[in-house]
Order: sequence, then C-alpha cells, then structure tokens
Amino acid sequence: MTLKYLIQKEFTQIRRNAFLPKLIVVFPIMIMCVMPWVMNMEVKNIKVTVVDNDRSTLSQQLVHSIEASNYFIFKGQQPTYRAALQGIEQSRADVVMVIPQDYSRDMTLGNQPQVFIAANAVNGTKGAMGGAYLTQIVTARVSPDLATMQSHVSTLFLYNKNLNFKLFMIPALFAIVMMLMTGFLPALNIVGEKEAGTIEQINVTPVSKWAFILAKLIPYWIIALFVITVCLLLAWAVYGITCVGPLALIYLLVMLLALFWSSFGLMISNYSDTMQQAIFVMWFFVVMMLLLSGLFTPTRSMPSWAYATTYVNPMSYFIEAVRTVFIRGGGFSAIWHQLLALLCIGSIMATWAVFSYKKNS
Amino acid sequence: MKQFISFVIKEGKHILRDKRTMLILFGMPLVLMLIFGFAITTDVKNVRTVVVTSSMDHLTQQAVDRLAASEYFTITQVVATPRDAERVIRSQKADMAIVFGPDFASKRSGVQLIVDGADPNMAQQWTNYATAVMLNADASAVNTKMLFNPQLKSAYNFVPAIMGMLLMLVCAMMTSISIVREKEKGTMEVLLVSPVKPLMIIIAKAIPYLVLAFVILVIILLMARFVLGVPLVGSLFWIVVISVIYILLALSLGLLISNVAKTQLVALLLSAMVLLVPIVMLSGMLFPVESMPRVLQWISAIIPPRYYIEAMRKLMIMGVGIKEVAREVLILVGMLALLMALALAKFNKRLE
Amino acid sequence: MNAIEVNNVSKSYGAVKALDDVSFTVGKGEVFGLIGPDGAGKTSMYRILCTLLLPDAGTVTVDGFDAVRQMTDIRRRVGYMPGKFSLYEDLTVEENLQFFATLFGTTVEEGYDSIKAIYSQIERFKDRRAGALSGGMKQKLALSCALVHSPSVLFLDEPTTGVDPVSRKEFWEMLGNLKERNITIVASTPYLDEVRRCERVAFLDQGRIRGIGTPDEILTRFADVFNPPGIQHDHAETLSQHSEPENVIEVEHLVKAFGSFHAVDDISFTVKRGEIFGFLGANGAGKTTAMHMLTGLNQPTSGTGRVVGYDIRTEHEQIKKHIGYMSQRFSLYEDLTVAENIRLFAGIYGMDDKEIARKTDELLARLRFADHKDTLVASLPLGWKQKLAFSVSIFHEPGVVFLDEPTGGVDPATRRQFWELIYEAAGRGITVFVTTHYMDEAEYCDRISIMVDGKIKAMGTPDELKRKYNQPDMDHVFTYLARQATRSSD
Repeated sequence: MTLKYLIQKEFTQIRRNAFLPKLIVVFPIMIMCVMPWVMNMEVKNIKVTVVDNDRSTLSQQLVHSIEASNYFIFKGQQPTYRAALQGIEQSRADVVMVIPQDYSRDMTLGNQPQVFIAANAVNGTKGAMGGAYLTQIVTARVSPDLATMQSHVSTLFLYNKNLNFKLFMIPALFAIVMMLMTGFLPALNIVGEKEAGTIEQINVTPVSKWAFILAKLIPYWIIALFVITVCLLLAWAVYGITCVGPLALIYLLVMLLALFWSSFGLMISNYSDTMQQAIFVMWFFVVMMLLLSGLFTPTRSMPSWAYATTYVNPMSYFIEAVRTVFIRGGGFSAIWHQLLALLCIGSIMATWAVFSYKKNS
Repeated sequence: MKQFISFVIKEGKHILRDKRTMLILFGMPLVLMLIFGFAITTDVKNVRTVVVTSSMDHLTQQAVDRLAASEYFTITQVVATPRDAERVIRSQKADMAIVFGPDFASKRSGVQLIVDGADPNMAQQWTNYATAVMLNADASAVNTKMLFNPQLKSAYNFVPAIMGMLLMLVCAMMTSISIVREKEKGTMEVLLVSPVKPLMIIIAKAIPYLVLAFVILVIILLMARFVLGVPLVGSLFWIVVISVIYILLALSLGLLISNVAKTQLVALLLSAMVLLVPIVMLSGMLFPVESMPRVLQWISAIIPPRYYIEAMRKLMIMGVGIKEVAREVLILVGMLALLMALALAKFNKRLE
Repeated sequence: MNAIEVNNVSKSYGAVKALDDVSFTVGKGEVFGLIGPDGAGKTSMYRILCTLLLPDAGTVTVDGFDAVRQMTDIRRRVGYMPGKFSLYEDLTVEENLQFFATLFGTTVEEGYDSIKAIYSQIERFKDRRAGALSGGMKQKLALSCALVHSPSVLFLDEPTTGVDPVSRKEFWEMLGNLKERNITIVASTPYLDEVRRCERVAFLDQGRIRGIGTPDEILTRFADVFNPPGIQHDHAETLSQHSEPENVIEVEHLVKAFGSFHAVDDISFTVKRGEIFGFLGANGAGKTTAMHMLTGLNQPTSGTGRVVGYDIRTEHEQIKKHIGYMSQRFSLYEDLTVAENIRLFAGIYGMDDKEIARKTDELLARLRFADHKDTLVASLPLGWKQKLAFSVSIFHEPGVVFLDEPTGGVDPATRRQFWELIYEAAGRGITVFVTTHYMDEAEYCDRISIMVDGKIKAMGTPDELKRKYNQPDMDHVFTYLARQATRSSD
C-alpha cells in the first residue's frame, strides 16, 4: 500500500520539475523527426574525377556512362593522375578513375584493358562501395562477358526492398530513446535525493527497500510506454513505416529494456555521490553498450572477443529482436531467446538496484 | 602570481581527488580507441548463408564449395524451397540465401540471391561479395587501389572523431560544471569578492582542464600510432597547433555554458544536449554529412568539431600539407575568436 | 568618515521586493548587527554591499568607494562570508585554509593569531577532507577561512548557525580583537546573546528597516519578535502524574568507532515515556552519530540499546515504524506541496486515504496553515518549514521523535512557537529526544545530558545541573563542561 503513495510522489516530482516533462515529450519527438535523416550511412554523392589518357571515342563513352550514373557526381577530368590525387587531398573528389593510354586499341583488339581506380578510403565503407560501383560500370563497358554473367545473378532484397536506411534505423532509435529516457533520468534520481538530504528522512521510515526502489522504477516504465507509443506513431505518421510483426512484442521488448535501464540507472545512482559522477559513469557504460550492440555495425563482423560481449549486452539482444519483429515480421518463436535473455539481465539488475540501496550502514 | 598558482593547484586537486570521474576521463579514450580500432568493423565476415537447391549436382556443389571456402560466408544449411529459406532468414538463423535454379548445371544461369535487406549497406556488400565469389571474377578489367587506408580499417576514420568528441567534452563540459559548482556552493561569491581579478579566476579554472585535454590528446595519439597502427603521416606540429585552437574553443564554449547555467544539473544537461548530441550526430563523426538533408547540413556547418575532425582526418591520415586544411583552420580560428569574445563579454563579474 | 553608507537602497526580484528604501550608516571600527527573520532581505543587502549585486535604486559606499562604479577597490578591501558558504569538500582542512589565505594575499602563518582560538580546535584534523567534518566543524573552518586575512570591512552573514555556544563565544571574542584593529564588522545572527555583543543593530523585516539602535533598545522595542515570554514549564508535573512511566529508550555502553576514533565512547542513559530529553554537546561531541544509531541509520560498534522496546542492532526496521525523525538538514520534499508531503509520509506509515485526509485538515487547522495546503514547501519561510517538518514527523503518533537541531537559524519568535508544538506533542505522550545549540531551549527540557568528547559528562534536570555545577544558567553549565573537551570532531 505504501507503494501507492511513493509512486504518487515520484510522479508529482517529475511533473513539478521545470525541465523533465518537456524533456519527456519533446525529446522522443526530436529524436524521431531528426535522427532518421542523420543516421543515414547510405553511401551516395560520391565525387569522381577521370583521367583519360586515351582520349578516344571509346574512352569518352566510358566517361559518359559515369556521368549518366545517378550514383556518382561527376567532377570533370584532370590531365594527370597527380593532379587528380591533389583533388582528393583537397576533398574535391573521392574517387579517381584512370583510363589507360591503349584503352581503345585494346578494346578493338579484344584484349582486356586495365582501368585503374583509386578511392579515398579514410572512410572505409565509402571507399569500398564507391570502388565497387565504379568497377561495375567499367565492367559492363569493358568485358561484356562478365557483364552477362552478372546479369544471371538476380538479387531479391527481403523486408527492405528499397534498401531504405530509415527502416533499418528507426527500430534502433527506440533503443536509443529508451536508454536516454529510462536510463539517465533514474541515474540522477537517488543521487538527487542524496544531495537534497531527503534520503535520510526516507531511511528512518519503515519503508522497505523493495517498495522504495520499485516506486522509483515504475514511473519510468510508464514513461517508457508513453514514449514508445509516441515513437511508433511518429514512425507511421512521418515516415509511413509500421511494424510488420506483432506490436505487442515490441511493447514487451520495450518494457524489458526499460526494466534493465531503469534498474541500471538507479544502481549507478545508489553508488554515486554526486550527479556529475552518476552522469559520467552512466555515459561510459552507455557508449560502450551502444557501440557494441550492433546498432551501427553488424555484431557478426566483430572479432570474437568483442562478439562475446554481446552475450551480456541487453542492447544487443534488444536491437536484434526489435529489428526482427519490426522489419522482418518475426513472431515470438523468432525472438524468444532474446526475450528470455532480456528478462534475466533485467531481473538481475533490478535485484542489484534494490540491494545496492542501503538503508543503514 | 602566487594567488594564481595556488588557484591552479586547487583546481588540479579537485580533478585528481574525484577518482571515479578521473577513471572515466582516462578510461574513456582507451576504451573508445579499442572499440573503434578493433571491434567496430563493417567487414563482410561470417555471413550465415542458406543454400536452396532441389538437386545438388556437381556444378552446384562446386559453387557452394567456393562460397564455403571464402572467409566471407558460412553455409549454415541446405533447404529445398525459397519459402523455407525465407523462414530461416525471418527467424534470424541466416542472413542470406542462394537459390540455384533446377537448370543451374546445364545453362549456368538462374541464380538468385535472397538477402536480408534490413541493413541496406551490408545487404549490398553481401551481394557484391557473393556475386564476385560465385563468378570467380579474378580476371577483372579494373585495378582498384584504396588510398590512405588500404586495409579499410575503421580506426583511420574514427581516431580524429574520438579526438574531436573527447576534447570538446573534457574542456567544455568539465569547465562549465566546475564553474557552476562554485556558484551553487556559494564559494564563487567569496572568490568574486576577493582581491583576485575575475578574469584570473576563470583562466585559473581553465588551465588544469587544458592540461588534462592535452594528456588525453597525447594518449589518443600514442594509442593510435602504436596500438591501432594508424600512421600519423601529417605534421605533428600542425596537429598540435590545431588541437590547441580547438581546445581553447571548447573552453570558451564551457565558459559560455557556465554563464547561462545556474545549477550543475542544468550545466550537465546543457552540455549534453547542446554539445554532445550534435557533435556525435552532426559532425560527420559517425554519419557522413553529405548524406544528410540540406537543412541538417547547414546546422552541421556551425558545429566546430566538424571542421576539427575534417582537418585532423586530412592531416593525420591523408598526410596533406597545412595548405590543404587552411579553410578548416581559418573557420576554427574565426569561431574561436567569436566564442571567446562572447564568453569574455558575457562573463558576469557580479551575481546576476 | 563612515565606513559604510547606505542611502535609500531598493532591490526587487521580479515582483518580489527584497529591499525597500533601506538606509543606514556604519562607523569605522564599529560592530554592526543586521538582524531580522529569514527572508527579510539580509542576504541581498550583503551582496549589494559586496558589489555582487547592483541596487535598483539608491547609493552605497563602502570605505568611501561607490559600490556600483568602484567595484575593484571595494573588493580589494572587504571580506565576506556568505550565509550558505561551504568549503571545498574535497580539499583537506589545511588546504582550504591555505587556499583562502593565499587568495586574500596573506599566509596562514601571518593570519594565525587572529584565528587561533577557533582553528586550534580543528587543527588536529588538518589532513582530513572538509567533506568528512561534521556540520558545526565545517562552520568553524569556514570562520577560520573568513578571518584569516584582515580586511578593512568584514561582512558575516549568519556565521554561527549550527555552532555550539562555547565556540560562538570564542568567535565573538575574535571579532572583538578585530575591532581593536579598527576593522569594521557587519554581522547578522539569530542568537540574542550575539545581538547583544553588537554596538548597534538594524532590524530588517520584509525588506524595510524597522529600527536602528543599541541592541537593548531594539530588543526591547521589538520584544514580541526577539524576546517572547518564556513557555510555562509545567510539563514535569504532568509527567510525574504517571505513576511509573516505562523506559522508551535504554542505552548501555554504546560505542561507535570509525577506525581508532571513538565518535561515541561508551554512553549509557534511559529516557522515559513522555519526557523531553535534551541531548546537548559541542560540535563534534558525537551527538549526531549517537542519534543515527538510535534511529537505525547506523550500526553500533559495541554496546546495546533498545528504542520503543526493540533492539537497535537487530530490529532497526521495527524501530523505524515507531519513531519520528527530523534532521539538521530540512527534510521535506521541497518540490511537493504541504498536503502532498503530509500525504506521502502518512502513506509510508500505513495510513489510509480517509484517515490521511481527515488528519491533514485537522493538522493544518491547528497550525493555521489551511490556506497554504497547496503551497510548494520550497516557497515557505524557514520557520514554517521547520514547524511543518516537525508536525509531519509526529503525524503517525510515534512513541518517540528524534529532533536533530530542529531550530538552527530560526528567529526567536518562531522558535518559541516550535517549542509550543513540542510541548503539545509531549503532552500527548510522545517522547521527545532533541539536540540544540540554543541554551534557552535547553532550559525547556525535562532532562538533559551533555556530551563531551563522545562521553556523557553530565545528566539531570536543568535545575539539578545548575545546582551541581554552581552556575547561574544552562549556558554557563554548558560552557563550563565543554571547555574541558580535549578533542573536537566526530
């Protein structure tokens, strides 16, 4: 019964705060409206310059086919490779294609000419993909045999037919919003009471540890429900993206993630002496978990030691499961072991949060 | 002068005594460098592949063997119909399926790749790799060279970004919090009423963080060179000079925040919202600026780390001369002048 | 020439008028008191004098310099100790002192004579971090830091809040020495004995000067505020009517050690039902530590104790059901309203909605608070907050209520009202266990113990103690005993 009064108190305090209610409403909207545009790792607008050492009709045809491609921005020709490289150093070009001197002669004789491509690979993905696309265009021109063979291989992209990055990132954004809303706010909560001195008053009351911690957790779960609903609605209204799988599973996943983050936040809060400390420690763990979660890069590409961390990283379970349900339309059977893992990690964390709260020393 | 030195020493003690924050401050660059250097890659590796074939004849077997032999693909199972394959992908047991038509052997045709398109970049790369492996396209007409980063390590791209983020964070966030803390605790009143000039108070506060930022910079550079093997080809002199400009800029930003914020919590949230999120998202650190919509590109144009990261990438990784980064350096210097003038003009010598 | 001239100064924050047409002068070398209740505008006045705030209207000169135009000159000449002054908690005692000494362009050695009386009490803890000191000790260190240099004008905003009577006397003796060096001092204080030590005082109330004169003039003129009639002390008689009251608190050989340091060193005492027990002691004598053990916030190192019949070592959660507690730091939620705070704490003690609603109305009516039911606690004056906090701490009718310096920084009239509430509670059979640094409050208690160096040095009714030590009042008893202390810290 005391739980009721404690929860009421937490809500009143959140409501009274000059900043928090705005944050809870505005932040998910901001994230959902801006981030999908930002978190676009699509490689496009690659700037190409060409060094045509052949200057023949055939070589000009090759240049035109690059000009015609939507994928590249054609940045004109350079007289020498050296000049073109300078263009890369000054960020005027990303890729240089060098057509050899004997290009048209080799082509008419039936020899395979060697076209040289140099890509700026400081950003590895961009370099590799730019190189690969340019190679495709050149191959289509230079060796028709290979091109026909290529055309025998057809590709069907499942679930995300237009290879839309927003579809890929939006479920991951749920994870980020949850992390910020249900992780950072609780991390500041108990430390706040410590700094205000009210925690001492609570400690001399008969309120049980469980009731006190639970009363602090529950408001954040309700906030999580509210926030995820806003996110789902925005995904539909702004981007026309809806969940393919059962919506109830998304809610279940979100609640389990909220269980983890809110407990984790309170646990950090219990161990911290100042808000600054709480934020810094929280931030450290958040960055690590986020980077190793597979949100940006596939976990399976990681070296084995890094991949091993995903077994204890709730973010990685959540992101895999939420993408399966939201994008691929997987059901309970597809994600049951992620659910189980999240439940376990969440419960352990909640128990830890309760026991790290010391009513007497 | 004596007052000034004792002031700096006092600030240094504040930093050194908060063990947890220190641990995070120095642990963060180490961990970030390790994660970005080793763990974060977009290599095509261990792609779980399902083979769909009704008749496993010799040629099909050969193609499958070739896939399995490559380090990119792992054949997880063989199923009979594309529908089965899709089910396997949906339940996240595989990433990709290769469907061999029944007449594959006779005509060398009819191969379909069914790819989990959830991650667009990876889906395309898997397709490229699978096609290349199956066609055995060694006799390519194209000779590709990856400039500056032949092994396509992501660390090359991220080291400058980590520098941009951490230096900003340490200087701006920590300075603003430490000034606001004095306001909150009431000690600022005493400091202001003391004979020490207000400007001196601020400079003394900034110096330890300047040193700290420098130490972190050195740690990052050393780790980049000797642990991650990133070649620091550019001029070390200019790397340091530009970093100092950037650190001063971050300190001015921190000072500005401390003027606005009344409590540590507000300073924290302001630094996080106004600094951290835009830096991570809009500076081109993780996501390329040129892929963003025009409006966001404009916003990113006023974010200082964008120019710092850009300049560092060119200087450190590409090894260009100072002439090639003149634009970035000029913009940074301009921003520094503006922010510092603003911060000093806005600095409150009284309480309101 | 006057050291300070304040002419028609006004200052508003939005619609709130903090200072309204304030004028006064302070002569060179004078000790001037600026007194008045919480929220009277004292702090704003100090800040304007220190050039930290600009007045909306009026002129201020300090040492002949204009506070608006000649900021740098004034800052070079004044010393200021703000009301909420706190030290750098992560620096040691010595580092704090050294820093402030250097800041004011002097050294600890040079200034040592002027702070010796107080600093010598904490000097043995000079390597300890300021954050680890008790509240009163911090205040002493803050005083040392403020006095280590010799400015020509010194502003002290309630410098002795939470400091024990002996140290307060020493502090004012130090101010006396400064005066001999022709230093002008402006100080504010809620303690009447300190007001009497000023040469002239100005009484500030709601932003206006009500009167300026000698302490006696002002204290007589505003006797209703400063010198309310004492409370009728007939409680002891009602107590004795109970034939044989049981013991509510029993403590035997209680010890709390932090490493080799015994904060509480073998204390034994009993408190009977309905008694008002005054638990006195100098800063750092171990009062708060002892109280924390009794309320189950801390485990004792050795010894036994029972509170309301439960063992303090094993049954602390049981104890918590039957006690009330109000701490040094104000202990209600500032961002909740009056009613919400009552509701929360009542709910925690298991009352149901109906009972809460009924008793809330009853309580608010009794406190004449009904109009402020939905006011945020943060916006209440300090005295009201303390009364409310006390009422909330006994709302669930506990067997015993622990009050840790409940009236620190509160003006005399409000303190009197507060004690009326205590008497009322005691009359209902609630045992009151209270610590205080106001010796007039000590006289209100049924029985008193005085702790020195972690041990109980004396115990008995105020009259018994006065007789035993042959002293005229509790203040002298306390000073007599506390001067025997050999250590000072907890």
